[in-house]
Amino acid sequence: MTRGWRGAAKAVVLAAIVIGLGPYLWMFLTSFKSRVDALADTPRWLFSPTLEHYPEVFLRKDYLPLVWNSVVIAVGSTILSLVLGVPAAYAFARLSFKGKEDLSFFFLTTRMAPAISVVVPMFVLFNRFGLADTRSAVILAHSTFNLSLVVWMMRGFFADIPAEIDEAAMLDGHTRAGAFMRVILPLAAPGVAATAVLCFILSWNEFLYAFILAAFESRTLTVGIPGLVTPHGTLWGQVAAVAVVATLPILLFTALVQKHLVRGLTLGAIKG
Amino acid sequence: MGPAFLLPAVILLSIILVGPFFYTIFLGFTDLSYSTPGHDGNLVGLANYRRLFSDDPVFWHSVATTLRFVAGSVSIEMLLGFGLALVLASQVHRSRVVMPLLLVPMMLAPVAVGLLWKLVLQGEFGMVTYYLRKIGLIAEDTSLLGDPHLALSSMVMVDIWQWTPFVTLVSLAGLLGLPRAPFEAAMMDGAGRARLFFDITLPLMRPLLAMVLLLRTIDAFKEFDKVFLMTGGGPGTSTELLSIYVYRVNFRNWDLGYGAVCAFMVYLVVLILCKLCYSALGQAGGRRAT
Repeated sequence: MTRGWRGAAKAVVLAAIVIGLGPYLWMFLTSFKSRVDALADTPRWLFSPTLEHYPEVFLRKDYLPLVWNSVVIAVGSTILSLVLGVPAAYAFARLSFKGKEDLSFFFLTTRMAPAISVVVPMFVLFNRFGLADTRSAVILAHSTFNLSLVVWMMRGFFADIPAEIDEAAMLDGHTRAGAFMRVILPLAAPGVAATAVLCFILSWNEFLYAFILAAFESRTLTVGIPGLVTPHGTLWGQVAAVAVVATLPILLFTALVQKHLVRGLTLGAIKG
Repeated sequence: MGPAFLLPAVILLSIILVGPFFYTIFLGFTDLSYSTPGHDGNLVGLANYRRLFSDDPVFWHSVATTLRFVAGSVSIEMLLGFGLALVLASQVHRSRVVMPLLLVPMMLAPVAVGLLWKLVLQGEFGMVTYYLRKIGLIAEDTSLLGDPHLALSSMVMVDIWQWTPFVTLVSLAGLLGLPRAPFEAAMMDGAGRARLFFDITLPLMRPLLAMVLLLRTIDAFKEFDKVFLMTGGGPGTSTELLSIYVYRVNFRNWDLGYGAVCAFMVYLVVLILCKLCYSALGQAGGRRAT
């Protein structure tokens, strides 16, 4: 490999990082800027920072409950999806049954289902059961994509564990369910953890279901974002502060699951 | 034994997704509308379908806009993303440090991505607007989000910003997992870099790239959050993607019967793409262990 090629490669990577991080860094900085600095004609990378926006928007404007809603919904949807999805994934990895291919395709379609196409009847359904504007409604809606993520992703993790281990456990007197619970599940624990983090992220980041199903009392942080942008006089410092709180924890979580990210994003097809 | 493991998941999805899916189809045969008196869900046969196919240029305009959005963003994401993966594959030690940084855009909530681009693309004080003007890419008085001719390209640009890392991440994993033997054999035969790339790398990567292409296509086709936040479909209808149009019919015009037909069309396209994606996933993953 020539030195010229190496130099060019370095430059490309550096450019990708600058373009990728620049706008995000700008928003991060804006959340610490006074109004004058935020609205300056020429971009100000250096300025005297202010901490006023965070307490202003989260305490005085009452955005703190939105954080709590986001946490409850993301955790709830993660738990629901794991409880129902992990056993299903195990069945896909280990058992043969009629209609397996069709069912596995069915789970893929639920993963991809366009929210805009089903959210109206969902809204009607949840209204009828008294779940309008509740966190439960959003938790259930988010399980449409999270449940199938669990099924597809955990299926791969289970497939990585040799089937002989189940068989040995069953020879030792465990039932199939017992072998799954006592022997296989502990072995797959790292996979479950990675899947859980991904579920949390997907639910936390979701907008459309939450926006339609719980626009008031139970609205999440992402749903709270558009309301801050007004045609005139948007308080960019405060908007940026909300966006930073909505995104920074997710970036930290991403670091935890990076190893398994490829697998999660390709529905288990690529191990990464 | 299978059913006991599977049933709870299938039942839940049937209630909250399959039910609503069929209810959408049913609604499409009614005139339900919250904005027109007397239209409270009477069966109207195929009237909504007739309206869709012969009397709604706005719908077809949004179809065209969506196709342009999907084609523009996904093709450039594939080229840039795969290119970047090739560059990173040539310096693996560095890619370990660099990858977490590159991933940032795709992990952000899409609505936050829309927000941050709305901030940097502001006409008067936007940071990116400023530098684009500085290097002469756009005129002094042009604002990317406010110009009907540039708004859709801006949406494409933001989507590329957000999702190129996805293509890079998955392609890099694929490249690093390629078997070494074919490359060594070809090099013994004296094949050059270009030959190696076109005769070995590309064919071996094809299933994976097909899968990535489909995953991105489905996602881009459903795009809502970023565009909703940045332009809301405007100026005019210049960035009105299908999902934004369906939203407008249902939640602005409260025309639920007709909206259901539009929603069903979106679902149909996604189902077809899913079918293609399903076989692509199988091929990219190789023979499944089950």
